[in-house]
Amino acid sequence: MKHYEPKLVCFSCKFGWGYLADEEELSHRIKNWVPIICSGKIDAIHILDAFKQGADGVLILGCPEGDCHYQDGNFEARKRVLLLQGILKAYGIEKERLRIEFSVDPEGNTIPQIVKEMSDAVARLGPVKKTKDKAKTASAAHR
Amino acid sequence: MWKTESKGAARVEEAIKQLLPPCQIKCPINEDIQRTNVLISLLPEEMEQARPQIIEISDYLYEKNPFFNICGYICGLCELECNYKTKGGAIRRRLLKRFLSDVYTEHLSQKEEFGVVRDKENVAVIGGGPGGLMCAYALSKKGYRVTVFEASNRLGGALWLIPSYRLPADVLSTTLSNLVRIAGIDVKYGAKLGEGKLTIEKLRNDGYRAVFLAKGTPYPRVLTFDGEVVEGQDLSGVMYGHTLLYEVSHGNIGRDYFEGKRLIVIGGGNVAFDVARTARRLGGDVTIVALEAEDKSSRDGIPADEEEISGAWEEGIRIVYSRGVERIIGEHGRFKGISCPKCTSVFDDEGFNPKFDCADCVSLEGDTLIITVGQVPDKAFLQREELLDEKGRLIVDPFTLQSLRKGFVFVGGDVRRIGFMVEAMKEGLVAADSIERYLRGLDMREGRKRDYEGYVIPVRKSYKSDLEVAWIPPEKRMHFQLFEKGLTLREAREEAKRCITCGPCVSCKACISIGFEKSLYAVEVDVERCSGCGMCVYACNYDSAHLTEVDGNTISKTDMFKCKSCGMCVVACPSHARELVDDGTEQRIQRVLAVL
Repeated sequence: MKHYEPKLVCFSCKFGWGYLADEEELSHRIKNWVPIICSGKIDAIHILDAFKQGADGVLILGCPEGDCHYQDGNFEARKRVLLLQGILKAYGIEKERLRIEFSVDPEGNTIPQIVKEMSDAVARLGPVKKTKDKAKTASAAHR
Repeated sequence: MWKTESKGAARVEEAIKQLLPPCQIKCPINEDIQRTNVLISLLPEEMEQARPQIIEISDYLYEKNPFFNICGYICGLCELECNYKTKGGAIRRRLLKRFLSDVYTEHLSQKEEFGVVRDKENVAVIGGGPGGLMCAYALSKKGYRVTVFEASNRLGGALWLIPSYRLPADVLSTTLSNLVRIAGIDVKYGAKLGEGKLTIEKLRNDGYRAVFLAKGTPYPRVLTFDGEVVEGQDLSGVMYGHTLLYEVSHGNIGRDYFEGKRLIVIGGGNVAFDVARTARRLGGDVTIVALEAEDKSSRDGIPADEEEISGAWEEGIRIVYSRGVERIIGEHGRFKGISCPKCTSVFDDEGFNPKFDCADCVSLEGDTLIITVGQVPDKAFLQREELLDEKGRLIVDPFTLQSLRKGFVFVGGDVRRIGFMVEAMKEGLVAADSIERYLRGLDMREGRKRDYEGYVIPVRKSYKSDLEVAWIPPEKRMHFQLFEKGLTLREAREEAKRCITCGPCVSCKACISIGFEKSLYAVEVDVERCSGCGMCVYACNYDSAHLTEVDGNTISKTDMFKCKSCGMCVVACPSHARELVDDGTEQRIQRVLAVL
């Protein structure tokens, strides 16, 4: 099997991650990185779009529980992730491909490492299996 | 590393509708509490890296409040109104400021002077306490040439009466000496108004176009009972609390001054507790006799702060509540004891009017009596300057602080009404504004009245309890070093993080000034798409998204004064009827997704 590098999209909460780092510099080390004001602002559509566009995984980094600047955005994000994992499964997308982590890292130095870990895990799963039939059955089941 | 940009700097004055977080309303000078809490919570984890940002935050606070590093030791009024107080304890804002102070006080001597061209009128400020200096600071920044006339040989006034175990003397002196240097305020020491030829009229003849009189209350109030002065206050062994605090602060009292002595302190205010705890540290066996009741929540409750009372109690000071002093008993010219009838009520609807039950009277014996029942202004001086009415009251417009007898004289601070340090500072600011209006020939009242409206606590899944304030145990704190430990950087970040930022974004803008957001995006509702389902109402933690009827249809709306532009309602909306105007997040996401 030839070397396969999965494509990951990484969202991170600005109040918890990398706010002391130079965003420009850090973005060179994290591919497809979207710092966002609150993880609760990530729409289900954004996540689904990422997979539609060919992402092999989506990683969300939220601030620690109880720390949300907007009260409960991180909780909302976690709820959304759990619900989406179920829906994605119906499309043959394993739940390991959507992950949410709560922590704080002002310098953001651990982000590339977390991305790498998830990337390795996703690499073991291989690319998303885009079976048209599967998608059709799933969407039919949803109607 | 973030750096605050001036473009995002919030000023309370700019906020429309004057909606503020409750802490900021409670603070007499409306300090930008929420904003600086957010910035503290985002400090780096290592002190070396955090230091420049601590100084940056402090510089910001200093602009508005050059006393903030003192407030960090002794104030904390804002905590009384914190929305969090019923949900786990108020945010320890005082200690957060002390944390900044611990770094900033050292830095003050390197702080550059304000480069203000001072070419406006000469203004005289009488009294170098917090009220006078605040007024001088505000006017000097506006280009007035201010001279402070200080009666003693040091600035600070009543602040020096605060014992150094609460406010270290070096913090106080560093703050004051740098304040006058940084703001370019001229100070004349040993210049006591009313003494010799120095009168207000002379100041006017010397070219001072306006005068702010903030002479404080230099004299102790004598003890009275039923409207009569209690006899025996001239006995040997009777003294006034202020005298004691004054002498201690000047280093004139030995460490074991009260060793083996039984002391009775009369009074129920913070100053009485300062006196009692000071006397305790000088070796005395101390009993406080307070007119007021133990229950602080009642009308007749003891006015001293909870922390003062518990601190005193821990230190072994006895507190006798609800007792007045009817008689001071002496023997051979020496103090021997007091007789204390029960106080049945302190205040009535008219005000202070204590009632006693003389049948219930106890006698207390002691070697020394320290009377600390308040302080009074220099009435004779005010009388000579014709600033009083026939009943001996100051005739001052309480709104502008302008004397109604002499238009160029403004009066404020303790001399007008005894209060906390920050209340005197507020009067200094009010006077500075009035003096500017007076000298510029502007309307004295227009646009000055502000009605502030507080915010309720946002909805949240969980709340955190406040951090434990660390006091040195009583047996180890019988000295004049600080007994309260300051916060570590880690504790400060954690505590600041607890702040639920309940106030409106317009008066904060911390996220904008450090580049997290570009502006405070407005939420727009597409009424064609909105079905009025109410998902946004459920998603909003700030009571901002709400439903309303328009032409018989239910649609959602957003109250922009309460909105935090967090975008939760946008995400929650099932029909994409909501949008944050000008928010670039969506484009940023699409850009990333496009190159996958």
